[in-house]
Order: sequence, then C-alpha cells, then structure tokens
Amino acid sequence: MEVEVDENDLKAAGAELLPGGRHGIRIQGWEVESLKRSILSSSTLQLWEEKLQTSHFPEMIFGESCLVLKHLNSGTKIHFNAFDALIGWKQEALPPVEVPAAAQWKFRCKPDQQVILDYDYTFTTPYRGSETIEIDATKFATMNSISLDGPNEKANVSAGTYNLQWEDCTEQIDVVALASKEPILFYDEVVLYEDELADNGVSLLTVKVRVMPSSWFLLLRFWLRVDGVLMRLRDTRMHCVFGDNASPTILRETCWREATFQSLSAKGYPTDSASYSDPSVISQRLPIIMHKTEVLKVPAHI
Amino acid sequence: MSDLDRQIEQLKKCEPLKESEVKALCLKAMEILVEESNVQRVDAPVTICGDIHGQFYDMKELFKVGGDCPKTNYLFLGDFVDRGFYSVETFLLLLALKVRYPDRITLIRGNHESRQITQVKFPLLASPHPLAGIFVSAPLSIQHIYDILSKQVYGFYDECLRKYGSVNVWRYCTDIFDYLRCEKSWSGKLAMGIWVDHGDMGGSLDTLVLSALIENKVFSVHGGLSPAISTLDQIRIIDRKQEVPHDGAMCDLLWSDPEDIVDGWGLSPRGAGFLFGGSVVTSFNHSNNIDYICRAHQLVMEGYKWMFNNQIVTVWSAPNYCYRCGNVAAILELDENLNKQFRVFDAAPQHIHSAWLIELVSLETGDKYLWGELLNSQLLKWSSIVVIRSW
Repeated sequence: MEVEVDENDLKAAGAELLPGGRHGIRIQGWEVESLKRSILSSSTLQLWEEKLQTSHFPEMIFGESCLVLKHLNSGTKIHFNAFDALIGWKQEALPPVEVPAAAQWKFRCKPDQQVILDYDYTFTTPYRGSETIEIDATKFATMNSISLDGPNEKANVSAGTYNLQWEDCTEQIDVVALASKEPILFYDEVVLYEDELADNGVSLLTVKVRVMPSSWFLLLRFWLRVDGVLMRLRDTRMHCVFGDNASPTILRETCWREATFQSLSAKGYPTDSASYSDPSVISQRLPIIMHKTEVLKVPAHI
Repeated sequence: MSDLDRQIEQLKKCEPLKESEVKALCLKAMEILVEESNVQRVDAPVTICGDIHGQFYDMKELFKVGGDCPKTNYLFLGDFVDRGFYSVETFLLLLALKVRYPDRITLIRGNHESRQITQVKFPLLASPHPLAGIFVSAPLSIQHIYDILSKQVYGFYDECLRKYGSVNVWRYCTDIFDYLRCEKSWSGKLAMGIWVDHGDMGGSLDTLVLSALIENKVFSVHGGLSPAISTLDQIRIIDRKQEVPHDGAMCDLLWSDPEDIVDGWGLSPRGAGFLFGGSVVTSFNHSNNIDYICRAHQLVMEGYKWMFNNQIVTVWSAPNYCYRCGNVAAILELDENLNKQFRVFDAAPQHIHSAWLIELVSLETGDKYLWGELLNSQLLKWSSIVVIRSW
C-alpha cells in the first residue's frame, strides 16, 4: 500500500521510511518491513510439496510475502511467513473437521474403493512467528561457533543458540495506551495464506502491524470458520515499547479461542455463517481455550 | 439497433440493465438454454475460458486478447459470479451474448452458479475494532480502496441487493442457473445435482450445459470427473434420470479436483468432495476416445496448468484473482485442427467505478466523506479508521 505519512510526524519521532521502493520504516533501532507478493508459482509450490512432504495446500499461499521486524544492533529478527506457519500446521496435524454434508457422502461412498484423506484441511497452525538472529559476517567474522559462507555473507543462527527465549510473565499488553491518539507512522497487513474450504467457510492467516512514535504493535491472526461446525481464532499480539533501545523488551500475548456452532446455539447466539464474517466483532463470543503472555528480552549484543 | 444490441453495448460499458430488461433477457435465455444438451457439442475453432468471478474489466481484457464474440467462438467453463465487484454485469453480458449469438458462445455451469453459494455471503463492512481496524491516510490511493474492498467477501446475492435494492434480479438469474441444472439436494452449501423436470416448458427438456465436447476430442467441464461416471453417455443418461433425486454425479462434475497424489479416487478430509488421480483420467480419456480434459475451478498462478502427462489442463481466466493474488490469466485457443495456443493476459488497471459510492467515516471525528472529496485532502489523518461502503 502506498502511503503518505506526515513528514513532521516522522521527524518528531526520529523515524524514516525505508528508501529504494521498500515498504517499511526505521525507528528507534528497529527496521519494520513488509513484503507483499503474488501467490506461489506452480514451480515453487512443487518445491514446497517436496519440503513439506504434502500435496495439500491452501488455495492462496502468499509464500513470498512476509513481515519482518529487525532489531539492528543485535541482529534479532522477528518475522512472519507462510512457510513456517505451514510447518506448524504439518506438525500439529489436527484431525479433520467434518462438515454436515459428510454423513450423506459416507452413505454414498464405498470406502473400499476410495482413499479417505485425513490431513487437516483447515490449515490450523500453532504458528506464533519466527525468530532468528542475523549476523553480519564482516562484523562477527571472528566468531568461530558460526559457520560462515564468505566474508560478506549473512548467517542465520537458530534462535535457541543465543537464548532468544520467550519467558512467561504476568504483564499484559497495554491496550489503553494502544488506543490513544498517537499518529500511526506505518501500517500494513500481510495475508500469508487463505482458503475458502470449498465454500464451506474460511481459513485465513494474516499479520498486521502498526508503528507509532512510542511503540510497535502487531497482530498475527489465524481465523477459521467451518460453516455449521466450528470457529477457531488464534491471535498472537506483540508489543514493543521503545525505551531501552540497546536491549528492548517485547511482550507477546497468545489467545486461542474456539467454539462449535452447536455451543453458540445453546447460548442463544445466531448460528448463520453471515453473523460470523468478522472475527474482530464476534471474538468475545468464542470461549478462550488458551491464554498466556510472554516476554522476550532482546540481547544487547551477541 | 435492436434492443438486445443496445443492451449488449450498455453492458459492455459495465452499466447494468433495468430490472424489467433483466427479466426479459433471462426468459429469452431460458428458451435457448433448455434446448442445449448435457454434453453440449462444440465445433472448433473455439476459445476456452476458465473462471471469471465477476471481474468484469478483466473479462474485457479477455475479449481484447481473444477477440470479440461472435467473431471468436467462445466456451466459458463457469464461475461467472462471486468474488469480483461486477457479478451482475459479467453474467448479464455473457447471457446477452448467448441470446444474441447462441451458436457462438457456450456457457457451462460452475459451482458458483448456484443459489446456495451465491446467497451465503457477507455484508460489506470494515471493522472498527481498535486493535484490528483498517488504517488509512489521506490522500487515499486506488490501491487503498482495492485493498480494503477486496478483503471483503463478495457474493452475487449482496451485489444484486446493492445494485437493485431488491432480490428480484438475483431470482431471475438463479432461475437461469436452476434451469440449467440442479436443485439443492444434500445438506450444506454444496450444489448437488438433481435434474428438475421442467415439464411445463414443453417438449423434451434437456438441461443446462454441464459439460461440452469439442469435436469429439476435448471434454470440457468446470470441476472434473465423478466416480459415478466413466463414459460421456453416462452424463447424457443422468439427463434422463432427472427424477432420481440424490445422484451426486453432477455435483462431482462441478466440484472435483485432480490431485497428484491420489491414484484412483480420494474422498476429501472434509468428508464431502472428490479428488481424482492420473489413472482415473487415463481410463476416462481412453474409454471416451478423447485427447484430454479441459477444466477450470482451481486458481493457477500461471493461468493454466497441465497435469498427468497432458491428459488434463486447468484454465483460469481471472487475473489478479480477488484483486490481490497477483496471478496471470489464460485462455486456450483451439484452431480448426485443434492445435492449442494459450493466451496469457494480465488484469485491467484498477480504477474507481463511477457508480461506486464509497463513504469514509473517520472514527476520530465522526465526519463522513465521499471518496471523491478525499482525493486531494489531508482531512483524514493516520489513526483514523474508515468504513467503506460501495455502491
């Protein structure tokens, strides 16, 4: 999305938009960038089939789209992409959700002649983002614990290596502060994948971010509605208040909600799909099945 | 110029017809369509087009690339409506061309040409939730509008309501769908097939076009094959078994997908819907003495995709599907000797249609603006959330 932000707001916040046609912002030691690309080409999709060992994928995979938040000093990179999310889907491997029409189909089918596939066609994922530490090889060439490909190459090191650990905490994201009328210096939404479940609902993984003078905030949302059967909402929110720019702290709140249409009906809520088109509006109706808050202290130096 | 020619010219400008005109057009179309066979014979040369999904201006690109009807003979594989902003104009233009040039355009039914599917869609409303809202700064770009609008799910039913203020046009159009095919049978929103005996229309009622056969060599269908069908004659026979209510063959033709991994038939994990493998296609093509199957139904980044050693091809004709997938579209031209040529095309440039009424509400101030008013103003600041209603 081409956006024009008030230059004065940017200046006052000590921020600058990324140059060279990139879409993002540099602020308080962070670089936030979104990339929005087309759906996967058939040849890339084939590669993914091999890597993920499956031929079942969402109808639309924006496999080259991503959101990246990089802490420049430490090389800590928090990013969101469809591939890692689908790895999560493969690993969780939930049993398939049956639609109401299934009973008639079973009656009609002769199972001995047909293979009944049993992958999770809802593409439900426990994905909460990816973390890596990206090290500039020229700067850390003496570090012998990392194998480097060449003097100007960058190496990705798994987060665990450097104790990039989220720790449980009791602090909550300050929603009141987020609702304040601060100028938004950068906003974007990146769809990672989407499927209509053959017109039986929706499965959607999307991440949106906004950057204000005082903090950045993002919401990664997996939204599933299998019409007439169930809804799942898996939200991951991250909030980083600017302050200690050398070693910032990120709060992560995970909230999973789930409800069957049957249970909603029992509570007197409507059960038509049209009433559940926007998860933001109806999320409160879905009971929370998991909620936790964690904190990540970004290391000052590697 | 006849009324019909005038209506075609009007529709080509993406201007919808009056309700009374739609009614008359649909009646004429029915008379033509009921005469068509379940496996409609089509002569080459012909140009085959996949899903359109209401992307009217992209369909105009298609006609630019493929040539105008009737100069070019067209076969459309269904899914004319839903998702795009112009289902009404798209479907009516194709229908008007069908009435005007019945032998130069063939319309096959897709899974979206169904009451159940087009009805169950959602109202257009952006979310005002403070943590999930849509943030827009002035000046707004067209891309903004498309980004916001395209996140909504568009249905044909809503569109008819918005554009005509009543469901009559939707009724006329879905009557056409029905004529051509099936009534609801199984539960859920799957468009399952039972033929309806329209005895009151008089004469031998064939049905809507479920499939087409080009020069006896290329079988064309929206979705794919069915375990209930191994020969084309069986599709023709279904036709005569209209009174049998719960036959799923038609549903399969509209819904099924080829799938690399399945050898034989696979039942989808949803418990409804079939996938078919290469061996199924080989044996179908062999027993029916056809060269290959041409189908639509699945989004392909490159516009078309061969599978199973060129025994089946998917053709997709909605570029930049849902205004955000970034895919190209394709049509398949067959000359009189059935030589194939794919023509690939991009989406039309995005633009704001004059009929759109886009209202922006700043949640900061509560002020309302129309799209045009905002183009060059700085009234709407970041952190404002906008609600957009179109039409």
